[in-house]
Amino acid sequence: MTVYLFYLLSFIAILSALMVVFSRNPVYSVLYLIVTFFAIAGHYVLLNAQFLAAVHVIVYAGAIMVLFLYVIMMLNLNTYNEMQKANWLRFGAVVSGCLLMVVLVGSLKGAETMQPGAVHDANIGLVSNLGNVLFKEFLLPFEVSSLLFLAAMTGAVMLGKKSIRS
Amino acid sequence: MVIAGLGVIAMLSEIFSFKKLLYPLVLLGLLAAAVLAGLDWNHDTRIPLFGNMIMFDNFSAAFTIVLSFTGFLWFIMARDSFNEESSLTDHYALALFSLAGAVVMVSFGNMTMLFLGIEILSIPLYVLAGSRKTDVHSNEAAFKYFLMGAFASGFLLFGIALVYGATGSFDIPKISLYVAEHATNLPGFFYAGVLMMLAGMAFKVSAVPFHFWAPDVYQGSPTTITAFMATIVKTAAFAALFRLFSNCFIPAATTWSGVVWTLAALTLLTGNITAVYQQSAKRMLAYSSIAHAGYMMLAILAMNKFSATAVLYYTASYSVSTIVSFTVLQLVAAHKGSDLLESFNGLAKKNSFVAVVMTIAILSLAGIPVTAGFFAKYYIFTSAIDSGFTALVIIAVIASLIGVYYYFMIIINMFFKESTDDSPFVIGAAHRFLLIVCTLLILALGLFPDIILRFWI
Repeated sequence: MTVYLFYLLSFIAILSALMVVFSRNPVYSVLYLIVTFFAIAGHYVLLNAQFLAAVHVIVYAGAIMVLFLYVIMMLNLNTYNEMQKANWLRFGAVVSGCLLMVVLVGSLKGAETMQPGAVHDANIGLVSNLGNVLFKEFLLPFEVSSLLFLAAMTGAVMLGKKSIRS
Repeated sequence: MVIAGLGVIAMLSEIFSFKKLLYPLVLLGLLAAAVLAGLDWNHDTRIPLFGNMIMFDNFSAAFTIVLSFTGFLWFIMARDSFNEESSLTDHYALALFSLAGAVVMVSFGNMTMLFLGIEILSIPLYVLAGSRKTDVHSNEAAFKYFLMGAFASGFLLFGIALVYGATGSFDIPKISLYVAEHATNLPGFFYAGVLMMLAGMAFKVSAVPFHFWAPDVYQGSPTTITAFMATIVKTAAFAALFRLFSNCFIPAATTWSGVVWTLAALTLLTGNITAVYQQSAKRMLAYSSIAHAGYMMLAILAMNKFSATAVLYYTASYSVSTIVSFTVLQLVAAHKGSDLLESFNGLAKKNSFVAVVMTIAILSLAGIPVTAGFFAKYYIFTSAIDSGFTALVIIAVIASLIGVYYYFMIIINMFFKESTDDSPFVIGAAHRFLLIVCTLLILALGLFPDIILRFWI
């Protein structure tokens, strides 16, 4: 049962991710992206990580997507003015993209015979375990990331602030 | 502790209220951070700090000192250009945050810390690159840097994820243990992960073919910020790259050494040859900074017991010389209103002090003896030859000969060409002090290379 669910969710995720890239209207892209996020949240639930799933939906599918839609609305991208790129640039992009795919797919060859390294703990994704890891083992990265946010905020304030002279 | 230094830096930036006091405080704080890092010399690495999130060994201590000191010099350099801006404290805060990120990057003991360090380093820089809000070029630089940086972070993160998938840990010692034990039967995606991490870091150090953002960003950003990117960012990124590869991925060297070889050769040739054709001195320095990344990749490729020293020495001498050249460039550009090579015409007659200082810095960048740059290149090359990369060293020597050509264009312009106007060229006391200190450092490092090297081996 879980296996079928896994394949279904993966199928939805990949299909909608492709649609994000291929749809011509940016608003559709954003909507497909939301679908992708929900499918990935479903994967989290399958891994018994409900907290991550909830956070994922709230932060990505909720807050960030609203922001995206807002920006698209402001920029008014609905009119089609696709930039013309030089042909050699397109060619180069296609070649390097294909090469990357070959490398990634090729590197996954043989991975299916591998034994999973660590014993899987079914409760690993629960909130209490997450909190334990976050505030014991990963305490320093947790604190340091606050520095990151502080820097980002200062930057945003600086960019947003009006210059005194003008 | 590194955290003490970090705390000083972060706290300083929080003091938004006293503008006058902030500047000396920042300078003192940076010196204090350097001293604190020095006190941590020979810190026992067996004691894990914060669950091994940070490994503060001699390598990180040395690089922290170099970074703090470069930061110190940079703040002296940036003083005037900051005073022009309205949001002075924001600039200070962002630069300090960025520096804190650099310190995290040279002392990480865990992949999460590496990633956080890179992000803390980069995000303030995206903003600083665009800090001239009315200037289109500055905006373009910020945007390009941001997009490319985000892209690089994506690569790096994907690489980290693949390596985690293969080894089951984010912890550097654990990964290196796992790689050493399972050197023969690592899964294929481990190598893909290593290569993707390499690509992500190559973006940050602007190695060719990942260098396309660098000239535009370097040119568009305010000159002070460009100096920051060319010195501190490059030092931190190379230290992190070196630390990552020397600690974790040596057993897998057969996979990545070919790639690094190609990257280094391409970087050396493209950087130096393209620099010849530049009209703008700033853009030329940008390409030369790409080329210098190529020399440093030699050390990463060589990966023997001299390499760490060679990288340290190279970054130190390169940073000091770069600070001088960008300071002079900034002064000249402010004086003439353009950063074309012609702006340097006749500088020797107007202000021989600045011209001589610039000449020494440029000789150091070109790697002419007596200056620091010569020994920097010398150590890199010996370390590479020791590991048997003679062909690449020959390419590097040819590339640096090309480098000499365009570096000398500036010198020729300064000494042998006439300026079109006769307005006097004056510099402030702070800049004079900075230039003297840096020049003495370049000469001292060149005459007595032991002062850095002795500590190490």
